[in-house]
Amino acid sequence: MNRDEIGELAAAYALGGLEGEDLARFEALLRAGDADAVRAVRDSEDTLVGLAAAAPEPPPPAVKAALMARIAATPATVRPLPRRPRALWPAVLTGAMAAGLAAVVVGWSVSSTYEKRLDALAQSGEQLRAELRSQQAVIAILRDPATQVVALAGLPPAPGARARMMWHAQAGGVFVAAGLPAPPPGKAYQLWAIAGSNAPVSAGVFTVDAAGTGSLSVRPLPGVSTVNAFAVTLEPAGGLPAPSGEMYLLGKS
Amino acid sequence: MPPVVPGSESSAALLAAIAAGDRDAFSRFYDLTAPMAFGLIRRVLRDPEAAAEVLQEVFWQVWQDASRYDPARGTPEAWLVMRAKTRAIDRLRSIRRRDRTFVAPVDESVAQRREDQAPNPAVVAEDRGLIQTALAQLPEAQRRVIELAFFEGLTQSEIAARLGEPLGTVKTRARLGLDRLRAALGGERLSAI
Repeated sequence: MNRDEIGELAAAYALGGLEGEDLARFEALLRAGDADAVRAVRDSEDTLVGLAAAAPEPPPPAVKAALMARIAATPATVRPLPRRPRALWPAVLTGAMAAGLAAVVVGWSVSSTYEKRLDALAQSGEQLRAELRSQQAVIAILRDPATQVVALAGLPPAPGARARMMWHAQAGGVFVAAGLPAPPPGKAYQLWAIAGSNAPVSAGVFTVDAAGTGSLSVRPLPGVSTVNAFAVTLEPAGGLPAPSGEMYLLGKS
Repeated sequence: MPPVVPGSESSAALLAAIAAGDRDAFSRFYDLTAPMAFGLIRRVLRDPEAAAEVLQEVFWQVWQDASRYDPARGTPEAWLVMRAKTRAIDRLRSIRRRDRTFVAPVDESVAQRREDQAPNPAVVAEDRGLIQTALAQLPEAQRRVIELAFFEGLTQSEIAARLGEPLGTVKTRARLGLDRLRAALGGERLSAI
């Protein structure tokens, strides 16, 4: 690859418009640490930094306030910890006699078995607590007069479908649907909350049983209080950050 | 506002301190670089609320990923600007997707926003003076290619289709445009000193 071609690929790469085979080829070059390619990307990126730096705009103060609050709320332990140093093993191996070594290995394997069982117990305990919490949340939502109840009606892809959303801004909500067709393989239904003129916010992904019935318990959605409409679209199984597929259900509050 | 000097030692040192969990360093890095990132995000996303959300996501990522910054690959400013740009373009694409899906059935308030948010290059090009002066020094054809790629997230083949030009021409123009822009921006920086 000559220098001109590298320059062209680097410009497109920094601009974000490189695709397909060109992109694969150029990324391979960068991974290999090709000095010309790395330098060409740095030059192009620095130019784009210059372009951005030429038109700064003071951000709203709320953004920094929110970030600092979020950071202050992260316990220090959440930050990735360095892995246990591997260099320990050679020292152990050279230092231990055969019997000592065997004891170490047996001890380690026994303790690791118990650690696994403890982990499993802790996990099932955590699951039970989570189930309890979610059932308590459902009951609280149903008892609260501030809960909105929104009926969703089926749209052309499933005219017979019906759903109800019981929504409480602080507590979250419970969603139940009936009469939906089973989603095709690799697809699932995704529920969206639409508040005012904001972008739809995902309220979660669900699927339906053989009878066409499905349900979803929804956590409170950050930044969403009064919801004007709920909608259900068909999306790839994991859900998407924004709706892309056909709409199956819609209900306005 | 302090001038941002790309590659200055201080921003790299701040990023290293952030990687170690230093909140003050994060606060200083934010003050130093957020206006630049926000200017860029606003250029891509016209909706100020969406732009503020993207800015917050970008800097949250800075806090979490600072240890992944590799000085051999570029300056902290480039690292940040590329992230800001990618996030802003992702949001722009999702807004466009949502507008296609939701405008018809939902309600007027969503429908009205379509006009606000559909990027109108003519208007966008007018409303940022300084970017405009640097970009204005480029021949129209090169300027369009850079704007469509950097501010609207089009791939080179999409740009070729939009402009009705061969792909090879688009590639060459992107490269020549960036070269010329580098000269223009470099000149401005020198003249500022």
